[in-house]
Amino acid sequence: MNFPPFTHEQPMRRTFLKRSAGGIGMMALASLLRRDLGAAEASSGGALPALPHYPPKAKRVIFMHMAGAPSHIDLFEHKPQLEKLRGTDLPPSVRNGQRITGFTSGQKTLPVAPAHWPFKMCGPSAMPISDLLPELQKIAGDLAFVRSMHTDAINHDPGMSFLHSGSQLPGRPALGSWLSYGLGSVNHDLPSFVVLMSRGAGRPQESPVYDRFWSSGFLPGEHQGTRFRAGADPVPFLANPGGVTSADRRDQLDDLAALNRRHQATFHDSDIAARIAQYELAFRMQTSVPELLDLSKEPKESLDLYGPDVLKPGSFAWNCLMACRLAERGVRTIQLSHVGWDHHENVVDQLPRQCAEADRPTAALITDLKRRGLLDDTLVVWGTEFGRTVFTQGGNNGRDHHPRCFTIWMAGGGIKGGTVIGETDDFAYNVVREPCSVHDLHATILDRMGVNHEKLTYLFQGRKFRLTDVSGVPIHGVMA
Amino acid sequence: MRSSIRLFLFCLASQPATVVVSCAAGTLDFNRDVQPILAGHCMECHGPDAAARKGKLRLDQGDGLTDDRGGHRIVVAGKPEESELISRITHADPEERMPPAEFAKKKPLKPEQIEILKRWIAEGAKYEKHWSLVPPANPAPPAVANSSWVEKPLDHFVLAAIEAAGQQPTSRADRRTLARRAWLDLHGLPPAAAEMQAFLLDNRPDAWPRLIDSLLASPRYGERWGRHWLDVARYSDSNGMDEDIAHPAAWRFRDYVIGAFNDDKPYDQFIVEQLAGDLLPAENPERTRAQTVGVGFLSVGPKMLACDDPEKMRRDIVDEQIDTTGRAFLGMTLGCARCHDHKFDPVSTADYYGLAGIFMSTKTLTKYSVVAQIYTYDLSDSEHKQRWAKIAELEKQRDKKETSAEDKSRLSAEIDVLRKDLPLPFDVIGVTENPTEDTPVHVRGDYLTLGETVPRRVPVALSATASQPEMPKAQSGRLELARWIASPENPFTARVIVNRVWRWHFGRGLVPTPDNFGTLGVRPTHPGLLDHLARRLVESGWSLKALHREIMVSATYRQSAVADRAAKEADPENALFARWQPRRVESEVVRDAILTKSGRLDLTMGGSMLKVRANAYVDQGKLAEYEKVLRRTVYLPVLRSSGYDSQNAFDFPDPALCEGDRRTSTVAPQALFLMNSPLVHESSKALADTMIEKTSGASARERAAWLVRHILDREATETERLRGETFLSGYAPGDEAATWSAFARVLFASNEFLYIE
Repeated sequence: MNFPPFTHEQPMRRTFLKRSAGGIGMMALASLLRRDLGAAEASSGGALPALPHYPPKAKRVIFMHMAGAPSHIDLFEHKPQLEKLRGTDLPPSVRNGQRITGFTSGQKTLPVAPAHWPFKMCGPSAMPISDLLPELQKIAGDLAFVRSMHTDAINHDPGMSFLHSGSQLPGRPALGSWLSYGLGSVNHDLPSFVVLMSRGAGRPQESPVYDRFWSSGFLPGEHQGTRFRAGADPVPFLANPGGVTSADRRDQLDDLAALNRRHQATFHDSDIAARIAQYELAFRMQTSVPELLDLSKEPKESLDLYGPDVLKPGSFAWNCLMACRLAERGVRTIQLSHVGWDHHENVVDQLPRQCAEADRPTAALITDLKRRGLLDDTLVVWGTEFGRTVFTQGGNNGRDHHPRCFTIWMAGGGIKGGTVIGETDDFAYNVVREPCSVHDLHATILDRMGVNHEKLTYLFQGRKFRLTDVSGVPIHGVMA
Repeated sequence: MRSSIRLFLFCLASQPATVVVSCAAGTLDFNRDVQPILAGHCMECHGPDAAARKGKLRLDQGDGLTDDRGGHRIVVAGKPEESELISRITHADPEERMPPAEFAKKKPLKPEQIEILKRWIAEGAKYEKHWSLVPPANPAPPAVANSSWVEKPLDHFVLAAIEAAGQQPTSRADRRTLARRAWLDLHGLPPAAAEMQAFLLDNRPDAWPRLIDSLLASPRYGERWGRHWLDVARYSDSNGMDEDIAHPAAWRFRDYVIGAFNDDKPYDQFIVEQLAGDLLPAENPERTRAQTVGVGFLSVGPKMLACDDPEKMRRDIVDEQIDTTGRAFLGMTLGCARCHDHKFDPVSTADYYGLAGIFMSTKTLTKYSVVAQIYTYDLSDSEHKQRWAKIAELEKQRDKKETSAEDKSRLSAEIDVLRKDLPLPFDVIGVTENPTEDTPVHVRGDYLTLGETVPRRVPVALSATASQPEMPKAQSGRLELARWIASPENPFTARVIVNRVWRWHFGRGLVPTPDNFGTLGVRPTHPGLLDHLARRLVESGWSLKALHREIMVSATYRQSAVADRAAKEADPENALFARWQPRRVESEVVRDAILTKSGRLDLTMGGSMLKVRANAYVDQGKLAEYEKVLRRTVYLPVLRSSGYDSQNAFDFPDPALCEGDRRTSTVAPQALFLMNSPLVHESSKALADTMIEKTSGASARERAAWLVRHILDREATETERLRGETFLSGYAPGDEAATWSAFARVLFASNEFLYIE
């Protein structure tokens, strides 16, 4: 089918276009949306007044969520003295009556299984990192580890919900939604909170991460996370359907704007103005998203960093590169959810596969951010919903859920690389020094973004809510 | 213990609502002016929570405040200067001053708040119960100046408030606008062109009420309003959480809800069936089925099915049931009292465990070990049941290795005979009875630290007007609880549903927080009207259809959305209801409206598209397949783990939560859906083809007008007709179908199509 090129250049069409769009250009249309949010917010790219509360150390966050709970025992907890107890029953004094899940509560014994792989002491603080993560070992000097994380949840859904929204119960806004609400957007051609999901080889059949973990809860809908999916349609309905060109689309949008403006003239409704602006954003996303996904201009040395999977859309490596590109484009919160760490059946078999795939892209992301000069003001958080048990599950070296302690790390903007916070007991079972809760982690992230976690609140159904509920203390030990 | 702390924190994170009503002039109203100050600044330590109470002082009630406390009194009515309350909040010494520094730092008492407290004491320091605890009054419709505007008693209440604010109501919307409003509101579908035409030609004086009656009589009504209730009932076809297993029989509950609305089932009966339908007497199996399906309400919530700890699992499920029951029917957040006395509402921990006993005596799961299984009834006829049992037996025999080929074929033939005309088993998801037990208080929500046993009962403060039911020894008490909620004496029930219905008609409730009627909710803007409607509902025999008529025939409902700027600026939220507030239709309506306008909507009712066995996991990958079935959206399976892109984009609520107040966002994915989705493209194309066929020989102008009339239910403007002409010559010359399809797409994407005006 042949379309006449740029038909709207014809004089009559041109007139129509002008009249219909009321002489308002695209950027002005975009600003309509901001105006809709209130005059005070317009001046600062949609940030709330008084935000940031103090000069931010980081302008954006990349939150790498290792979904399913990687084994802190095998990856970060070097307990050589435990080797002589391998296979013996976990002393009851360690467990101390704490609940364990139904997967193992029926087991007659809880045989201790220290890490299955050797460690290297890395970076200035000699942080033990498993040989399963050779690339991470090399960049340990950039990372601040927290070995004393603990959570309230023992199952994935409440645990992930807690990690993402500060509440085990559904209905609260995600971290990225809070940041979008509080700090606004930098790039007006892309959403301010983007989610990328991938699936690892460790446990390919594992359940996906639910959409609701990037919901904006009771915050306005424009703050919800937008998931970019693998494949031809990274954002639902992004591509023009067959036979529709961008020029046609521009034309239709102008017609639509005319219709909607007529409607608005009747009702003076700000919601209608906002809708016109959203069409313009959608139109811009039709250009900005393909541009984002187009790796043809990406230099070889950057592609090589991430390894061979980087050209496979939807792989973890591809997502890591995307995270870097999104950071480059000013997206406020980028969340990577990487599924496949829930190794109930056989850590010895599953964990190496999962790590082999995830290690290189993870380290590459840090290196690449640094290379592009972005690491200084990008906060990278690598975390998960809980840890795994030191005792085995089943007869085959599985490990069960463990909320009492686990390890996360942070890097980049405002983070002191080469640091280790916290310590666990001889069995890596309980925290013995510097316990850090999920609320503390959230408080830290907000702090680095220049936000006082106690002051970013939202009134909903009569209550003022915040990400950290009623607790949370920033973890000062990791701060630069 | 862990979870108890979590719940404790969850509830504590509360702050009172900002009350925006000024009280500078007029008389002081305790609930409006004073109570929020006490709740917001004092009650955390001096409130209903006995464990957190300091100085043996509670300010949530008036008892004992005037007692001599060793030379001083908290309150001396009429004399603020002698009242300890005032001297403490104004004390010069920061050590003595209330609230204590650590509270005052975050939330200081403002001078004007101190003034209000002084005035309140000067005026006699009268306490009044929280408004929702007081039974609905029977207020006379207030006098109004512009009485000719009034159509229904309810208009008096609305107009009186408008006039008091020095405003005017907006003129009546034109008939075409009203008709479209009624269709979208009651059916969630725009009218067909012929239907619209018929109404416009109906010159009888009662054409409008007739239209409402006919819309209410259509089964499309139940599909639309049943879906509203399904939001409240947090309906889902899968469990969600760690184990997203199917609720394969939940669709019967969904169909039950749709049917209840279509049949105008009295709302009190609707409540009783959802909480205790299994316990109601039934004269025949048909009735047993119809009633039992209702208790799906208690089973379709999200349940943690992979918990190690059966005792905790049971209590978490009970908690979810109490919380949803409280929010859905009473607008109360009862779940907060699991771990501590409610900080702001008069619901104690003992009250909570009184209710918990009822639900602990109720069975929701059949098995509590991982992965737990949900209780399901088989209510098939006994003859059918026997046949199914026989079939199972024969199949077992047939499938044995040692069975000879000859026997196998004989058995298969026998099975075929049994299967002939045999309906599928009548599976019903829902709760049943457990052994009856009273439950002790769980200190901080922990079942290992038990306090005093509380007899099963309803919350004490809530039973002041609707008295405590007597709990049976040999039954859970669910039926008694249900009847207590459904009683006309319950001060919450009728108000809550009347407010929900108002919210769904107008986009804003008379109580703007429809799921929270407690002290932290927002007070009603029109308390008299709320009570008036609540009473009318009970008098009508709890008929929701009568309530719709009452509302829709009113002058209030029939106002135009075209308001002048000054009126909009004076009342941007339309809290006065002095105009119609246009609002975007809900996610289901977007899809259904496009399908119906393009002639593609399949109106088959009921049944299940979810072909998954009980306790099997649902597959998110199937969503795309379900969505291709062009039935009304209410019949698409709802999965908690993932939703439909089109529905998520337009704010379909989280099906794990009771939601009576869906938000309406305006985000780019909506635009992408309307510009590019296959649904919109295929529908536009189908409609363009139909139009071309029906208007053969017509001019481009006429065709443009046809599409505008068909999609937007109005005549085209001259500009739009002209646009048809330029569009045809410019868009894709020679390809009429593509051109008109694009034209239709623009109309489908317009605000006018997506808004209820």
